[in-house]
Amino acid sequence: MRPFVRLSRPVGPAMLVVAAVAGWLATTTTTAQQPARTGGVKELLSDLNAPGIDRGLRDADVPRPAATAATRWVNDAAGGEYLRDSLIVRFKPGTLPAAQRALLAQVDASPGPTLTYADFDVVALANGADPLEAARRLSAQPDVEYAQPRYRAQPRFVPNDPLYPRQWNFPQMDLERAWDIQRGGSSNVTVAVVDSGIAYRSATLRYTAVAWRRDATTVFPALGPVDIPFAAAPDLGTDRFVSPRDFVWDDNLPLDLAGHGTHVAGTIGQLTNNGNGVAGIAFNVKLMPVKVIDNEWDFAFNSPFFGTDDVVARGIRYAADNGAKVLNLSIGRDGGPAPVVRSAIEYAVSHGAFVAVAGGNGALDGNPPERYAEFAADIDGMVAVGATGPDRRRAVYSTIGNHIELLAPGGDFTRGGATSGILQQTIDLDLTETFAGLVSQYRAPRFDAFAYFYFEGSSMATAHVSGLAALLESQGLTDPAAIEAILKQSATDLGTPGRDNENGYGLINARAALRGLGVAK
Amino acid sequence: MTRHLRRSAQVAVLAGGVLAMLPSAAAAQARTPARRPASEPTVRVRAFGEVGARTFTASKSFEAVLGSKSGVLFGGGADVLVGRNLFVSVGVSRFQKDGERVAVANGQAFPIGIATTISIMPVEVSAGWRFTQPRQSVIPYLGGGVGFHRYKETSEFAVAGEDAQFTKAGFQLLGGAEWRASRLVGVAGEAAWMSVPNAFDGGNTSAAAAFGENNLGGAVFRVKVVIGR
Repeated sequence: MRPFVRLSRPVGPAMLVVAAVAGWLATTTTTAQQPARTGGVKELLSDLNAPGIDRGLRDADVPRPAATAATRWVNDAAGGEYLRDSLIVRFKPGTLPAAQRALLAQVDASPGPTLTYADFDVVALANGADPLEAARRLSAQPDVEYAQPRYRAQPRFVPNDPLYPRQWNFPQMDLERAWDIQRGGSSNVTVAVVDSGIAYRSATLRYTAVAWRRDATTVFPALGPVDIPFAAAPDLGTDRFVSPRDFVWDDNLPLDLAGHGTHVAGTIGQLTNNGNGVAGIAFNVKLMPVKVIDNEWDFAFNSPFFGTDDVVARGIRYAADNGAKVLNLSIGRDGGPAPVVRSAIEYAVSHGAFVAVAGGNGALDGNPPERYAEFAADIDGMVAVGATGPDRRRAVYSTIGNHIELLAPGGDFTRGGATSGILQQTIDLDLTETFAGLVSQYRAPRFDAFAYFYFEGSSMATAHVSGLAALLESQGLTDPAAIEAILKQSATDLGTPGRDNENGYGLINARAALRGLGVAK
Repeated sequence: MTRHLRRSAQVAVLAGGVLAMLPSAAAAQARTPARRPASEPTVRVRAFGEVGARTFTASKSFEAVLGSKSGVLFGGGADVLVGRNLFVSVGVSRFQKDGERVAVANGQAFPIGIATTISIMPVEVSAGWRFTQPRQSVIPYLGGGVGFHRYKETSEFAVAGEDAQFTKAGFQLLGGAEWRASRLVGVAGEAAWMSVPNAFDGGNTSAAAAFGENNLGGAVFRVKVVIGR
């Protein structure tokens, strides 16, 4: 099984990686011949809380304050909201209190309490009085400098993360206005990232790197024991990870050797409005790293398990059993059916977890059946997600089929170039994919340095759905089938009216989903 | 007839003439106020107040959002009795209830934590027939007419364009019985059935669409207190 990602690689030491080398992360290298698995050893040498090296951009903006709570409002013709029961008035200096009361009485208003830091008054209106009309009448009085309804200032939450302007994907799903309803979700909600692990903590691990063959002509030598540094991704935070589990190494250290899971986790819950890097969707939720994907370094370090169906199934069941309410599966495969994974997903949904699965990147490769995503049409509470590019159209690679239920931003380098992917922080692939080039360049990796990469793929799209599902969970919508239903009902229809195999029910709309349904609208 | 009752009849007839804007009738009354049989004016105008319960045809949608497919309404209006049997009625009522927006899956509603308020204000114009008999204290009646239903649904967090507000026309059939408690006060019990087709046509993103309901009508059971003869 493979992660569903295509990536844009970094160029040299650039902090922000924009070079476009689109291609399968996994399939570029997984032609390696696999030796018998005797089970390697990884040894925790240090778990000092050393910070990761953030090689991305920074600034020092102050986080914005939270929005104020709403009470009872009425809209004017232009859509402005104001309180129906009161009014702002400034009387001209020298107007006697008795005169003020008389003027207010003319519009069924009465004086309110004295305010601090105000050269105006807020007056109460009688039931049924029209604030607009009362303000108009008062403003016409010679003793009144101005009068106006108490219009409500609307939050316009745009994160101050300096690279946020490059995240076209969030405005595309109307996330900024969704944050006005549910900003970042709740720490009571846990999203399991069932993937290649996450750079969630610092450690130094000792592995033994064996010789391995990448292809018919390339054999990488054994490196012997190597001490590998790890660090938590700086923009993910460190205190929000729960129940980590590694089913590739069969331990509780699901560290990311590929960068895929960390990137996906960033889209779901990257720290936001912290003046650093990029934003994530549900930036308050807990993240559960569940490693079920192996990559080249797991292979070179002789991990006891591969990312096979049984490992994936165990990871899904583990996540459901340990409190995850949303499971992100930015993974998949073609080949034969996968009943063991289907059973695990059904188990998770029956235990109250919503499951988002990558719809596949195979449209240009014969559009093969997606063996994990294909269950989605049959399971209420599980959705298969295809990808859009910045132009709001299905990405060229996004698999077409009757399993596709939703589209979400996934990037499309063919339409808009290298910056048309999904930008997130992950491990610096320059320092980890030493196997991608010549044998002479092959060396031990380090996983304590990070950069911001544009990736594309239905993996990235799936993370958007999981993040939105986490916001819905935080809003109190906990039934997996209901989450799926509102995601479909609120989606922006694309292509042929109604559901179709290219676009499913359409592009997710976070604002509409979080608003839910009224009787009429 | 006592002097007091004669004066009341005169006032009622005069007020009715003004309200109903029937100047010829009013003029006729003014010319011969004392000789007109007070118990049998040609045109009588009466006012009424009402309280009732309304249940919606779109029962699943309202139950999902408001927690109930019915609620209380208050209103009032006037009717004009022409002769012994014919009546024309104009009434305005108001229904308002708070609820919570939902997600709908498999026919089941799941609250989503956003408060909403629905108010409906029907203006009903009806005409009908009163089955009067001499010395009868309970008068049954039947009627029907058109209604204009102003619907407003406002929600927490909504910005321009996200709330729903519209007026749709429909029709209603009604029947009831009026009991004369005194010469000036009556109490009526009335049932009405209203249909407001295609009221909810806002696309897929509504509970009404999720449940396949689009009629704003329903049944109303109300008690009216009628002032006038």
